[in-house]
Amino acid sequence: MSEQNTTIDQLNDQPNEQPNDNEQPGEQKSFVKRTISHGFFKFFVRRLFWLVITLFAAVSLNFFLPRLMPGDPISTLIARLAAGTDAELIRRTIEHFYYQFGLYQPVYVQFFTYIGNVIQGDLGQSFSQFPRPVSDIILSSLPYTLALMIPAIFVGWILGNVLGAVAAYVRKGFDKIMLPISLFITGIPAFGMAIILLTVFAVNLSWFPAGGAYPVVMIPSWSWSFFMGLLQHYHLPFWSMVLLAIGGQAIGMRSMSIYELNADYVKYSRYMGIKDRKIVGYVFRNAMLPQVTGLALQIGTFLSGALFVEIVFSYPGLGTTLMSAVSQNDYPLLSGLTLFIIIMVLVMVFLLDIFYAIIDPRVKASLVE
Amino acid sequence: MGKIILDVKGLTTKYVTRFNEDVYAVNNVSFQLEEGRSVGIAGESGCGKSTLALSLMGYYFAPLHYMSGDIIIDGNNITQRDPNDVRKNVLGTEISYIPQAAMNALNPTRKIIRFIEDVVRAHEPKASKKDIYDLARQRFEVLNLPESTLHKHSVELSGGMKQRTVIAISTILSPKVLIADEPSSALDVTSQKAVIKMLNDLMDLGFIKSMIFITHELPLLYNVTDDIMVMYAAQVVEKGTANQMVFDPLHPYSKGLMGAMLVPEEGARDIKLIAIPGTPPNLKSPPTGCRFAERCKYAMPQCKVYTVEYNDVENNRGFRCLMSENELREAYAKEGSQ
Amino acid sequence: MKSQLKQITRSSKFMTGFILIFVIVAFILIYPLFNPGNPLEMIGLGTFFRPGTYVSVYDSLNVQRTYTLRLPEAAANRIDGKLSYDDRESMRDWLIRYGEQEGVAGLTYEEIDTYDVHALLALWWEHYTTDVFIEGMITADRRLVARIDSRVERIFEDSDIILMMYNYETGEYEEFGVVTATDYVNIREVANTIWLPLGTDNFGRDVLKQLVSATGASLIMGLIAGVIATIIGLTFGLLSGYLGGIVDDILMFIFNLFTVIPGFILLVLISFAIGQEQRGMLTVAIVIGVTSWVWTARSVRSQVMSLRNRDHVNLSKLSGHSLPKILVRDVAPYIASYVVMAFILQVSTAILAEAALSMIGLGPMTTEQATLGLMMNWAMNFGAHLIGAWWAYIPVVLVIATVSFALNLMNTGLDQIFNPQLREG
Repeated sequence: MSEQNTTIDQLNDQPNEQPNDNEQPGEQKSFVKRTISHGFFKFFVRRLFWLVITLFAAVSLNFFLPRLMPGDPISTLIARLAAGTDAELIRRTIEHFYYQFGLYQPVYVQFFTYIGNVIQGDLGQSFSQFPRPVSDIILSSLPYTLALMIPAIFVGWILGNVLGAVAAYVRKGFDKIMLPISLFITGIPAFGMAIILLTVFAVNLSWFPAGGAYPVVMIPSWSWSFFMGLLQHYHLPFWSMVLLAIGGQAIGMRSMSIYELNADYVKYSRYMGIKDRKIVGYVFRNAMLPQVTGLALQIGTFLSGALFVEIVFSYPGLGTTLMSAVSQNDYPLLSGLTLFIIIMVLVMVFLLDIFYAIIDPRVKASLVE
Repeated sequence: MGKIILDVKGLTTKYVTRFNEDVYAVNNVSFQLEEGRSVGIAGESGCGKSTLALSLMGYYFAPLHYMSGDIIIDGNNITQRDPNDVRKNVLGTEISYIPQAAMNALNPTRKIIRFIEDVVRAHEPKASKKDIYDLARQRFEVLNLPESTLHKHSVELSGGMKQRTVIAISTILSPKVLIADEPSSALDVTSQKAVIKMLNDLMDLGFIKSMIFITHELPLLYNVTDDIMVMYAAQVVEKGTANQMVFDPLHPYSKGLMGAMLVPEEGARDIKLIAIPGTPPNLKSPPTGCRFAERCKYAMPQCKVYTVEYNDVENNRGFRCLMSENELREAYAKEGSQ
Repeated sequence: MKSQLKQITRSSKFMTGFILIFVIVAFILIYPLFNPGNPLEMIGLGTFFRPGTYVSVYDSLNVQRTYTLRLPEAAANRIDGKLSYDDRESMRDWLIRYGEQEGVAGLTYEEIDTYDVHALLALWWEHYTTDVFIEGMITADRRLVARIDSRVERIFEDSDIILMMYNYETGEYEEFGVVTATDYVNIREVANTIWLPLGTDNFGRDVLKQLVSATGASLIMGLIAGVIATIIGLTFGLLSGYLGGIVDDILMFIFNLFTVIPGFILLVLISFAIGQEQRGMLTVAIVIGVTSWVWTARSVRSQVMSLRNRDHVNLSKLSGHSLPKILVRDVAPYIASYVVMAFILQVSTAILAEAALSMIGLGPMTTEQATLGLMMNWAMNFGAHLIGAWWAYIPVVLVIATVSFALNLMNTGLDQIFNPQLREG
C-alpha cells in the first residue's frame, strides 16, 4: 500500500528556514557556536518530548481501538478461538484469558496494567503458539524484517534520488519516459511488485527461490553455504522493496531538483565562472538533503510495503507473522505486532528528524533562537 | 579623461520565451565607462536594465542569447572569444556580477570559505587552500567583515551580512568591471548604507576599476554613481553625469522619471512630482519610430515614423530624441512657468 | 472557473488519467451486457484453467460437416502440443541418469539435443524402460516420465481413429465414424465454445468476468472511503485553519499524530477487532475512510490559513455572517480545487488499502461479490503464484496499478494547473 503523499505534501506548510535578522555583524564566533548547540539541544528535547507523547498515544490507540468496536471483542475472540473443543476446555480457556487480560477490573485499571506491562516489554502470551510470549515471537522475526527493510530503503533512496536528479537535469526525452514510469511504479502496490518479481524470476526463470529465508533443507548455522542460501532467498524480496522505494523517491527528487536548478545561487555561481559540473553537485546535494524528511514521512508506507513483500515471499519477518496472527485469530500476537510496528515507525521518524537536523545547515540555522 | 575600461558598441541580445517568441530586451546599446568611474542605470521595471547587466557579462545562458555588438574590456573584445574561455578567464576576473536577489545567491549548504575556494579555483585550479584563505581573510578584514563569516553557512547570516558577503566574493578576484544589480533594494536603511559604503570602498581601494550600478531607486543613484544612464524599452535614451541628469534632464522620459523622484537637496524643491501616464511598449513587437512616442506629451506626428538615433551632445552626454537640446529645454521651461 | 476548466482539458496529464478511468468505467458498464450472468459462477470443474478458447469435444464430433485440410506442419504442431520443452528436459534428465547408472555411453548432457525431437525420441525409445529402478529419483518424477512415455508412444502415427458406440440391443460396439488426421471442423459450427481470455480461477470461475465486476466494486469502495475521508478531513481542516487558537493546536496535534502513525496498521487493528461476521464491503470502506483523512485535513488547513485574513472573509465577518455561512460561502470555493485533488488521491489510496487489507485476510467477508483485493487473496491462498497460474493475479495487479496510475496522473495534472510554480516549461 502506498500513501502517495508526495504531491499533497508539497501543499503543506514548509518548515521555516528564515534565519533571524537580528544578528549583528561584529558577533563573536564562540557566541554563535553556543547558540547553535543550545538551539539544537532545545530542538532535541522538543522532538524527544513529542516522541514520548506519540508513543503514549500509540499505546492508547492500540488499547482502546479494539475495545471501542461493537460487542465485546476480547470475549468474542476467545470464544472464536475455543470453538469446537469441549465445554470444560472452553470454560477453562475463557477463565484463563479473563484473568490474563484482567477483564474483571475496571477499564482504566486494565489500561494502566497494560501500559505497565508494555513498558516492561510484556505483550502477553500468544494464542496460537501458547504459551510462547508475544515479545519473544516478535523479536525472533524482527531481524528478518530489519535486514530486508533497512538496506532496501538505503539502496532505493540512493537509486531513486540519482534517477530523479538525472531526470531533472536531462529533462526532455529521459524525463518524459521516467516520470510516467515512476508514477506507474508508485501505483503498483507492494504485494503486486513482489508477486510480479516472483512470477518472472522465481517461477518462470527459476533464477531465485520462490519463498522462505533459507533453503528448507538447511539448518541455520554460521557456515558459508548457509550464508549463500540466505543470500539467494534475500534477492527477490530485497529488490521488490528497492523498486518500491525508487518510485517514490525519484518523483520527489525530480521536483526538488528542478526547483533547485532554478535557484538564484545556481545563476550566481555560473556568473562567477564556476564549472557546471560543480554547480550540479551543489544542486543535487541541496535537493537530496530534504529527501531525508521525505523518507521520514514515507517510512510507515515503506514498512507496510515490507510486510506485504514478506507475505508474498513467505519471508519469516513481521509481515508473515502478522499474516499468521490474522489467519489463526491470535489477538495478543496481532495487537503486540501492531503496537511494536507503530513504535518502530515512531522511533525511526524521530531518528531521521534528528539526523536531518544534524546534516542540513539550513535546519541548524533555523534552530538559532 | 581617464582610460576607457569598458566600451560597449551596439550590443543587442534577446530572450527566447517559453512560447518560442523572441524578446529583444537589449537593443543596440552603446556606452563607455572610464577607469575609476561608476555609472548608474535607471528605468522602469521591464525596460531591460537587468538583462543589460547579464548581457554585459559576455557569457550567455539560455534563454538569453547574444545577437550582435561588441563588449571591449580594457582593450579586449570578449564577444569574439570562445564561451568556455570567457567563463574561465573573464567571468569573475575581468567582469563580475552582484545578482538582484543576493539574499539567495549563496548555496545554503556550503560554507562561505568553501564557496570562495570554488570561485578562486574555477579560475586558478592550482591555488592552495591556505592561499585562498589568506586572500579571503585579508579582503574580509579590509572590508570590515568578521573573519568568522568565512566559517558560516549563508543561512546563518542576516540579510545585510549576506549581501556584503556576496559583494566581497564577487570582487575577490579584483575584476575590472563590477555590475551590481539592485544590490541594496531588499535591505533596511542601515544595511543599505553599509552596502553603498562597501561599494565605494572597493572603488577607493582599487579592488575594482569601475562599476555599473542598476536600480529603480533614483535618489540612490544620485548619491552613489558619477554618471546616470536611463533606459527605456531596451534602449538607452539618455546619459549624463548625475548632476546633469537630475537637474537638467533632456529626454522627456528622463524628465518624467526624475520628476518622479524626490531630491532632498536645496534647489530641487520646486521640481514637481510628475507621474508618467501609460505603459512601456511590448518588446515582442516594438513600435517603429520613437519607442516613447506613445506616452510622450511633446510627441509630434513624425516621432512615430522616423527611427530616432542616439545623439552625443558633448563628451559623456547624449540623448535619443527628434527634438534638439534647446527645443526640449524651452518646452520644459514653458511648462514649468505655467 | 470556465478558464480553469479549459486549462484542465488542456493538461495532457490530467486528460490521460481521465481517459484511462473513463475507459475502465465504460468497460465495467458495457462488458456485463455482452457477457451477462453471475461473475462468481463456477463454470470450470477444476482449478486454474489456462486462458484460451474452450471447444466442446462432444459437440465437435457431432458437427455435420467435416473438412479435409492438407497441412504439412500438422504433425510438427502435434508434437509441440504433446511434448512441451519441460517434458523434453525431463526426458533428457532421465536418459542422463539412466546412462550414468547403467553405464550406457552416448547419454551425456551435451549429446542429447532437446530441440531435435526426432533424435531425442529415437534415444528415448531405444533406452526407456520401467524395468530399471533409477537411484535418487523421486516417485513424482518417475511417474512424470511414465506419463510422458505413454503420451509419446504414438506421436508419429497418423492412422485413423475409429469411433465406436455401444449398442445395447446387440451388446456390441458398432463403428459410427472415422476421424482421420486430416479432418477439421469449423469452430463456428461447434455448438458449445467458450472464450476465457483470462482462464479461470481456483474455483473454476471466469477470471475476466470476475475482474470486471471486482474492479467496479473496488472503485465504489474507493469512492465511499474517499468521500468519508474527504468529509472528515475537510471538516477538521476548515475548523483548524479557520478558528485557529486552541482548536487549531489540538487538531494540529491530532493531525501530526496520525501523520506519523502508519494508517495501515491502525486499519489492520480495527478490521481485526471488528471480526469477520461484521466485515461487509460498506464497513471496510468506512473503516478505510476513517483512517485516511489526515492528508486532506492538512492540505485544507494550510489553504484556509492563508485565506483566513483575506478581505472578502473579513468583510463577511464584519457583516455578522455565521461561521458555517462564512466557511461555505467565502472559504470553500477557494479550496475546492485542493479538496478535489485530495479526494482523487484518497480514492486511489483507498483502493490500494482495500487490496492490501484483503490480501492478509482482513477484507470484506462476502461470497456474493469479488473485489480486487479478494481476487488477490484467493489467488494467493490457492498458490496461483507458485504453480504459474499468472492469469489469476497478474491482471488484477495491473488493474490496480492502472487505476492508481490514472488517478495519480489526474492529480499531478490538477496540481500543475492550480500550483503554477510547479508548472514546468
